[in-house]
Amino acid sequence: MTQDKKITKIQELVYEMKVGDVMQKNVITVSSQTPMNKLREILRENRISGTPVIDRGKLVGIISLEDFIKWLADREQDCVIGDKMTRDVRTFYDDEPLVQAVSKFEQSGFGRFPVINRQDGKPLGIVTKRDIIEGLLKKMEIDYHEEEIHRYRASHIFEDIVADETALLLQYDVMGHDFKRAGESASRLKATLRRLGLHPQIIRRVTIATYEAEMNLIIYTDGGKILVRVEPADILVEVMDSGPGIADVKKVLQPGYSTAPEWVRDLGFGAGMGLNNIQKCADKMDFTSVVGKGTSLKIYISSRNGGASEIKRNS
Amino acid sequence: MKLKEIVNKLNLIVKSAGGNLDREVTGGYASDLMSDVIANGQEGNIWITLQIHQNIAAVASMKDLVGVILVNRREPEAETITKAEEENIPIMVTDLPAFELVGKLYQLGITGTK
Amino acid sequence: MNLRNIKEILEAEVILGADFLHKNIEMACGADLMSDVLTSAKTGALLLTGLINPQVVRTAEMAELGAICFVRGKQPGQETIELAGSKNIPLLGTSLPMFESCGRLYQKGLIGCSEKLEV
Repeated sequence: MTQDKKITKIQELVYEMKVGDVMQKNVITVSSQTPMNKLREILRENRISGTPVIDRGKLVGIISLEDFIKWLADREQDCVIGDKMTRDVRTFYDDEPLVQAVSKFEQSGFGRFPVINRQDGKPLGIVTKRDIIEGLLKKMEIDYHEEEIHRYRASHIFEDIVADETALLLQYDVMGHDFKRAGESASRLKATLRRLGLHPQIIRRVTIATYEAEMNLIIYTDGGKILVRVEPADILVEVMDSGPGIADVKKVLQPGYSTAPEWVRDLGFGAGMGLNNIQKCADKMDFTSVVGKGTSLKIYISSRNGGASEIKRNS
Repeated sequence: MKLKEIVNKLNLIVKSAGGNLDREVTGGYASDLMSDVIANGQEGNIWITLQIHQNIAAVASMKDLVGVILVNRREPEAETITKAEEENIPIMVTDLPAFELVGKLYQLGITGTK
Repeated sequence: MNLRNIKEILEAEVILGADFLHKNIEMACGADLMSDVLTSAKTGALLLTGLINPQVVRTAEMAELGAICFVRGKQPGQETIELAGSKNIPLLGTSLPMFESCGRLYQKGLIGCSEKLEV
């Protein structure tokens, strides 16, 4: 699957990048009046296998090493490049996406295309297949490097901030009865905590507790929000809804106690273990509820005292 | 194999109907879904589950199962024990998770296919 | 043991992740209650379950499980498969019941999530 992702990245770049991004500028050019016997020198000195022919700032043709070899083989009299060049030159515009250029290379079988400005037709450079490949590779390397920096920055954010106390506040909104998206908030939180470089065991405890709380919001309430306060060593997950509230808080904390209907049980939830699971993941949990007002659940998870500790087993 | 031997070999704690451990266990069924056990549980099966509410006693009785083993340190609710005594269904508990308990039953020769 | 071994032992089909059959699996847990799986299953474990809804995949994501095998011949829907695809979680399916699946794997040396790995 990682392979698929890389392919997608290249596909993305092929559409995103333009011919102008990968072409060689500062191209060596010749005029149509340059003699053929000078061409070998020009090609060899510049280590190129072909070059555009420019007269008075306009592209009039293209001459390649193959043309030169053919001329040599025919043992003809010396003549000017203008006599031997390909006049019907196929060109690219500098704003053409690479994907079009690639398909033109495939169709034509040509090794190089001059690049011109779309408006005034002025020659801007030349592009070969090699330039396209190099350009793509370079861009991928830059993107990769930027992602690395990005990741590094995120995971060192707390060190970079200068303050007596630092906390990041994240909010996730949960819609009630929205089973299609159940678990999305916990999933997004998990990805964020990973980026922040928190200890995997802490991330696991926070995500599992948040997931259970999110399921509760979806199953039993009309929705609510999950506020997560991330400090370098402590995490507080606050889950709030605006009703209906719970009459007997003690009872819902009993393992196995549940008011969930059968269809919720069919989802694998509602067996009366959610709050116990949250308790198992948490270092401390506060749970308050007022009927008609709503429920508030605070989950503290700390990495201070052997934070890498695992989820508690039933006692 | 008789239920009594299984209780002894796997150190199960009997929570109800301790006088009804002489039945022969002919197979095992592991499920936490009531409707699934109602549909697929076989007479003579020992049932392995995480469910602890009183419906398990009713389902076990209805399907003529030999008994129910609650796994992962789950304790039956008081109503469940009352109901199980009424129906004379042995309920047992273990610290083991379902996977391990089933594994050990399998090694004793209890299988899950007819 | 790897996923390929598990597939063979359970006579299972690969629903998703044919490229991941070399993935190593050391532990398993069997449950139809996701709340139980969340806290008792260990990272990297195989989950055997009779449930096929997307929440099973979510649970595997949160608890960082290695793979899911659906038992009792249950076929997951497109939504479940797509979510698993996006989370890189391989899916197997067997027609065997839960009891037989757990028994066979335990017999072949897979351990449960409460046991210690021998190093």
